[in-house]
Amino acid sequence: MRKTRGKVGRWEGRKVRRWEGWKVLLSLSILPSFQRLPAQETGVATIASRFAGFTAVTGYEQAVAESLVALLPGSATDRAGNVVLTLGRGAPKRLAVCPLDEPGYVVGNITDEGYLTLRRIGRPSTLPPPSSWALFDQQLEGHRVTLFGTKGPVPGVVAVKSTHLQRGRPNPAEQPFSVDDAYVDVGAASREESRALGITILTPVAVLKKPLRYGGGTGLLAAPFAGRRAACAALAAAVLSNPKVTGMVVVAFTVQSLQTSDAGLNTVKRLLGPFDEVSVASVASRFPDTAVETVALADVEAAVRRLVLWMEGRP
Amino acid sequence: MSTRTAMEGWKVGRMKGLLLALTILPTFQPARLSAQDSSRIAESQSVLSQLVEAYGVSGSEGPVRETVKRLLPAWVKPETDSAGNLWVRVGQGDPVVVFVAHLDEIGFLVDSIRDDGSLVLRTRGGFFSSLFEGQPALVHTARGDVPGIFLPRDSAFTRHTPPPVRAHVGAGSRAATEALGVAAGSTVTMPKQYVRLAGTRATGRSFDDRVGSAAQILALRHLDRVKLKHQVIFIWSVREEIGLEGAAVAAAALGTTARRVHAIDTFVSADSPLERPSFAVAPIGQGAVARATDNSSVTPPAYVDSLVAVARARGVALQVGTTNGGNDGSTFTGYGVVDVALGWPLRYSHSPAELIDLRDVASLADLVQAVAELW
Repeated sequence: MRKTRGKVGRWEGRKVRRWEGWKVLLSLSILPSFQRLPAQETGVATIASRFAGFTAVTGYEQAVAESLVALLPGSATDRAGNVVLTLGRGAPKRLAVCPLDEPGYVVGNITDEGYLTLRRIGRPSTLPPPSSWALFDQQLEGHRVTLFGTKGPVPGVVAVKSTHLQRGRPNPAEQPFSVDDAYVDVGAASREESRALGITILTPVAVLKKPLRYGGGTGLLAAPFAGRRAACAALAAAVLSNPKVTGMVVVAFTVQSLQTSDAGLNTVKRLLGPFDEVSVASVASRFPDTAVETVALADVEAAVRRLVLWMEGRP
Repeated sequence: MSTRTAMEGWKVGRMKGLLLALTILPTFQPARLSAQDSSRIAESQSVLSQLVEAYGVSGSEGPVRETVKRLLPAWVKPETDSAGNLWVRVGQGDPVVVFVAHLDEIGFLVDSIRDDGSLVLRTRGGFFSSLFEGQPALVHTARGDVPGIFLPRDSAFTRHTPPPVRAHVGAGSRAATEALGVAAGSTVTMPKQYVRLAGTRATGRSFDDRVGSAAQILALRHLDRVKLKHQVIFIWSVREEIGLEGAAVAAAALGTTARRVHAIDTFVSADSPLERPSFAVAPIGQGAVARATDNSSVTPPAYVDSLVAVARARGVALQVGTTNGGNDGSTFTGYGVVDVALGWPLRYSHSPAELIDLRDVASLADLVQAVAELW
């Protein structure tokens, strides 16, 4: 018992020293400009916030994948687009995985007036869909979106009926807003003006990602798909903490988990498997599939610790 | 170099790599989508963006009022009345002409705090509260803004008829919520940002009526006081969205003194892919709009003709139309004051994604100046 406690104690001491560097460097240099973070900010909190700002619509994860490759030394994208790296060598051979993608939209058509109509890509992460999924598309109505065009991100809004103009008109019970009701307005007045912004059919579209920290001392983070992003942030943080891996651990941030029968994960398994064990990074969230899906930063830190222990082959 | 030092060096290198990598991770940078702006568009944007990013739910317009005061020209001596309206008087003599734009915006008020710390809200102004569900929230308190969320509903999945909206600031009890400075009566909004879109278009929340407020500021900045033939009063009113309350106080104070009033407020436009084009079709980007008829007033046709003549004399783009909604000027009409309401076309009114064309803001400011100087 004493020996075990000693080992844990040394590990925790090493871990604390690692995070100290994150605290200082990260808080000084990469804080999002729109959010002043509290003094007790940790590296995990920062990386979770940053990941929550990513957009990786299913099948269109390339930009985020490239950024992860830059973030994680030794990583590379495989033929499916997964970000993969290998830690350690020998047996056992295990896989730590996190799905990178999210449900979202692509431009389906451009009208003569320059409005963009949408096609949804991806499905809810749980089946059957949660009841709240009925309002998933409705989160678009009257809100900001970002279009990831060939010339860079383009801001837009999704049209909504003006409150004033509905007065005095019949108001039958309306069905929830669906993707077929969505007209994206980027300020263009014609199809040509929209195209000039770098927008084409299949341009990925996502609700505005502006991660929100709230809850005072309780440390909550809200953003679309915050749970999925926090899980990937935890896995990245675990890798960057330089764990003393037992055997070989393949780390994979996978693509296309929500549209194509998990094509990314299956590719990893077939190209690099078989694996003795698979661990899927996860962080519990509240209000899933809403713009304010919320995770507790303490849970993200716990996930990092859990993943490090798993990589090191310790219970 | 010792092993430990080498390890630390590796860690520093890893940290540097992490920092470099995180700085290049994709983050949304507002794209510059327009060509070089004219000075008029640039000035309109400069004034408007500051007003849009100030918060002022009806009855709590203080931050917006202070922003207006800061943006006014130095020679102006603004006064605030007991209702909270901001007044600027220019020139002398009759007939007294009044311009009025409103400071307030739609939002919520904290009605009560539940035992679990969540906030029971009630609306201030008319809007689809479903547009706020499951979105970030900002609770405005005496001690500063407290971030939180509008709680998503978990039942009743219809479109615009959600259960009463509640908010949460992440505190687990009433006491913990109150410890953050949140109290019954605190106002609640959604974080907002002025964002430029393609060409001369922009989006944000509370363009209604920050555009009107901006137009009055811009008109005052460019006003040729020598040309004034009579007294002109500019008012930035409070509590318009909950029943024209501030304007009613101003109208009562002036009584029958004023001859004409120009409400400077939104022309809710049907220039949208979702609206019926049966009326209110004023395309954005084609200039200010004479709000000749709405739900609160009808401008006498002769006055509309005079307005058109003034616009032509100055070469200001002007559309004429009819839309829905009430305007502050209507509170003056009972005192024998003619309401000649002016506006600019707005898409997606009272939503978080209101959309305008800055050319219309400049046009409206030019029209206000022309009316003050010529009519």
